[in-house]
Amino acid sequence: MDDVKLATRVSLPIKELEIDVVKVTSYLCERLRRYVFEYAGRRGGVIGLSGGIDSSTAAYLAARALKPENLFCYILPTSATPQHDIQLAQTVIEELRIPEDNYELINIDDIVRIFAERLMVENPLIVGNIAARVRMIILYAQAAKHNCLVIGTSDKSELTIGYFTKYGDAGVDVMPLADLYKTQIRQLARYLGVPEAIIVKPPSPALWPGQTAEAELGMPYDLLDSILYLRFDAWLSEEEVASRLGIDTEVVEKVVRMVKQTQHKRQLPEIFRLSTRSHGSDWRYPREWR
Amino acid sequence: MVVLATSLSGRLRIALAQVSTRIGDVKANKVKHIEYIEKARSEEADLVVFPELSLTGYLLKDVAYEVPRACGEALEEIKRACRDIHVVIGVVREVRPGIIQNAAAIIGDGEIKCIVPKFYLPTYGLFEEARYFMPGDPLRDLKIFEDKFGVLICEDLWHPEPAEALVRLGAEVLICIASSPLRGLNNPVEGKPWIDHAWTSILNATALTHAVHVVFVNRAGPEDEEFFWGGSRVVGPNGVELARCKTMEEDFKICEIDLSENARTRRFSSFRIHLREFHRALSRL
Repeated sequence: MDDVKLATRVSLPIKELEIDVVKVTSYLCERLRRYVFEYAGRRGGVIGLSGGIDSSTAAYLAARALKPENLFCYILPTSATPQHDIQLAQTVIEELRIPEDNYELINIDDIVRIFAERLMVENPLIVGNIAARVRMIILYAQAAKHNCLVIGTSDKSELTIGYFTKYGDAGVDVMPLADLYKTQIRQLARYLGVPEAIIVKPPSPALWPGQTAEAELGMPYDLLDSILYLRFDAWLSEEEVASRLGIDTEVVEKVVRMVKQTQHKRQLPEIFRLSTRSHGSDWRYPREWR
Repeated sequence: MVVLATSLSGRLRIALAQVSTRIGDVKANKVKHIEYIEKARSEEADLVVFPELSLTGYLLKDVAYEVPRACGEALEEIKRACRDIHVVIGVVREVRPGIIQNAAAIIGDGEIKCIVPKFYLPTYGLFEEARYFMPGDPLRDLKIFEDKFGVLICEDLWHPEPAEALVRLGAEVLICIASSPLRGLNNPVEGKPWIDHAWTSILNATALTHAVHVVFVNRAGPEDEEFFWGGSRVVGPNGVELARCKTMEEDFKICEIDLSENARTRRFSSFRIHLREFHRALSRL
């Protein structure tokens, strides 16, 4: 990818990615309130805070929607988590005035190490995925303890290209931010008052030291989001996207390949049909089925 | 010249190309089509039949909008492989910008003879064709080719009118191309999945009702949660099976049919009687 043209003729992100933060906030708060209180009948929500923009924005939104006393926040670092990220997560908790009984910092190194040693795995990707799934287990246990739902923090960019851990950070009850690309979440974050240090920090899953999302993806989020928007929201062809952005088609093809190869991660597990009616394409009841 | 006798006689070698298809990968599917066409030609087939949406895969969902151009390009190449053989292929065709149809392309003598769309689009259970495709218009799209072949697409045979209309237009061989997913393996009827049993009933009944040969070519292999069960076959005008492909896997079979059987069978059927008034009555319902 080094030689291909990433520099664009247009300013990024493209203007179509601008959102009306006031309307989006009020809509998402209302939807989250209804989902947690009315549909699920729960007391509130549980969020894992990383100190990154997605989880911080999710916490600001959830605190606004559900009230701080109904929000439970957990900072679940490993030794791979930068100290600065932990401090930023603590800032979020302070700023949102989360009650003392509603948050906790639990270092998960010991738990992850038990898995890694027992399973004899050292590969940072495998260990990183174990860490993400350990966090999921902890959040679900806390949610059960406090009669809450687990609120996911995924954004649309990462969901669309499959940049997440199946049953890890994507193992949640509801994803209030998942129809907003990363660049749109930045807009929302500013409106909600998320600290600027969090907004400008390079995104990272922090599964291992020094990992950054944009280095792994090979492009900045404002380009990624523009490609995703034009290809899948506006439904332009790969060539049309490249031409509109003034980049090589190869770059668009690379992004589309990531989307295609991770389709299985956005779906429930495959069920091999035997009967005339299986729990897949022809089991079509509403989620809010009563 | 006054025609006192029809010339429907002789034998036809029909190749059943029960292929597995890669979803959305028209280029790879095209290569397989040309291989099967070559194979059919080497075995002196007159006609080779592929399943419904054989060039594209069936459960396309939103990919459906993106395959018509690739289908057009593939057909151009396939045409060149069809100089001395006729081929029926399942394609997605764009009839006007943004409007697509599930269709069958009939190719022969190096050219596309005609394209016929599907009329009845299943939109129940696992099916969602009407979400994507525009149905064919019976007043405009009913046609036969080479004076004796009528093509139907899957669900079209689960309704009596399309087959009846094609036969009344002169079809002596009804070709039904299908992408029928497996259903009812958990609850077999006479040892077969329910869907095989259902198709057997419909195919045999259609052949018997009209005293025509019926050629059925179904997909084989998996696609997402579904699995196409194959079971392609030829049924003679007396409702008796003449050939059958394997179930649950790709297969290729040649069946030689004797078209003069149609005439002999009709001596023992009331095919000659067609009461148009029934259609008038139906149009008022």
